[in-house]
Amino acid sequence: MTTRDVEPENRRARQRGVGPVDASMDLLNEIIRHPVDPDYAIAAARPHGPQRRWPLTLVVIMIGAMLAVAALQTTRSAPAVETERRELISRIQAGEAEQDRLRARIDSLSVEITELRSTALGANTTTKARLDEIASLELAIGSTPVTGPGLIITVDDAPSANRDARDRVLDTDLQMLANGLWRAGAEAIDINGHRLSNLTAIRSAGDAVTVDYRSLTRPYDVRAIGDPRTLEARFVESSGGAWWNELAQNRRMRYEIARRARVVLPADPGMVLRQARRFTP
Amino acid sequence: MIPLLGLIAGIVLGLVLEPTIPQALQPYLPIAIVAAMDALFGAFRAYLEGIFTDRVFVVSFVSNVLIAAAIVYVGDQIGVGSQLSTGVVVVLGIRIFTNAAAIRRALLHA
Repeated sequence: MTTRDVEPENRRARQRGVGPVDASMDLLNEIIRHPVDPDYAIAAARPHGPQRRWPLTLVVIMIGAMLAVAALQTTRSAPAVETERRELISRIQAGEAEQDRLRARIDSLSVEITELRSTALGANTTTKARLDEIASLELAIGSTPVTGPGLIITVDDAPSANRDARDRVLDTDLQMLANGLWRAGAEAIDINGHRLSNLTAIRSAGDAVTVDYRSLTRPYDVRAIGDPRTLEARFVESSGGAWWNELAQNRRMRYEIARRARVVLPADPGMVLRQARRFTP
Repeated sequence: MIPLLGLIAGIVLGLVLEPTIPQALQPYLPIAIVAAMDALFGAFRAYLEGIFTDRVFVVSFVSNVLIAAAIVYVGDQIGVGSQLSTGVVVVLGIRIFTNAAAIRRALLHA
């Protein structure tokens, strides 16, 4: 738009005795109509003597220096941002290592608690029955490590996952898989070394799937302990098996089931004592 | 000729000397540059129209830079610094484009 385009419109508006149709356009019109400082015209109209050149030169040198300094600063701050990022990553890794260390300590302390409990309870028949009950309950809730025959199901994103987010393993997929295994009679399940209990959450956080708020890295190894004769067959027939069969066929995701004679699952370190009652034999 | 040589000399000086801007002034440098560019384009257009004066250029440059910096400073104090900088950049950007278009028409007749 040039000056000539704008002018008649406004003049017509003024003739009609009303303001411009849209008052908020005034600012833009003003900017477009007077892009050059009006002082140039006024100063040029006034008679003036020979012009001094040094202020102009100085200002122009200053503008050049400003440009150079700003560009330098932007390029120089880029490595600083990178260092900051790396430092954050290393702090996250240190935090995760600390968390692992604390989890290991929880494991060893809970073993100690179990030993202390059995010595404290003594060895008569009532307490023996109690201890057996505790042992079977602990197996079910996932607070002790378990060893036994079972399955390893390895799943992973499809090769085309970068192009299509639907080809990625989602939290729902892992939930379906775990629920299918529970239905198939699995006694204990873990995903990438994170034992599932009845309090475990499998969720998505950003691009990652998390188990108990710890993000997993691909591929996902789901290990389950159960009756070796029936577990695999019952899982394949379950809704989780059907779900994954479809994902593997339609989305080309990796889905492999392997039988193992011995699988060792860790305890869920997230177990805490929420309620306690005095034991009266 | 002098402005072009001066600009190049300034860039070279800035690159060679690498002056450090005080931390307090750093947020105003980019907006000051946009204001300076506006003054430059306005001056070039005035030059093409034959009405260029050094005095007006120097005054318009200094006031542009100071006002732009002041707007950003006030904005920072009342918590709308980035929005006001955006406003300044938009307004000056429109002016720069308008002037650049006029310069192009004057130089290339297109």
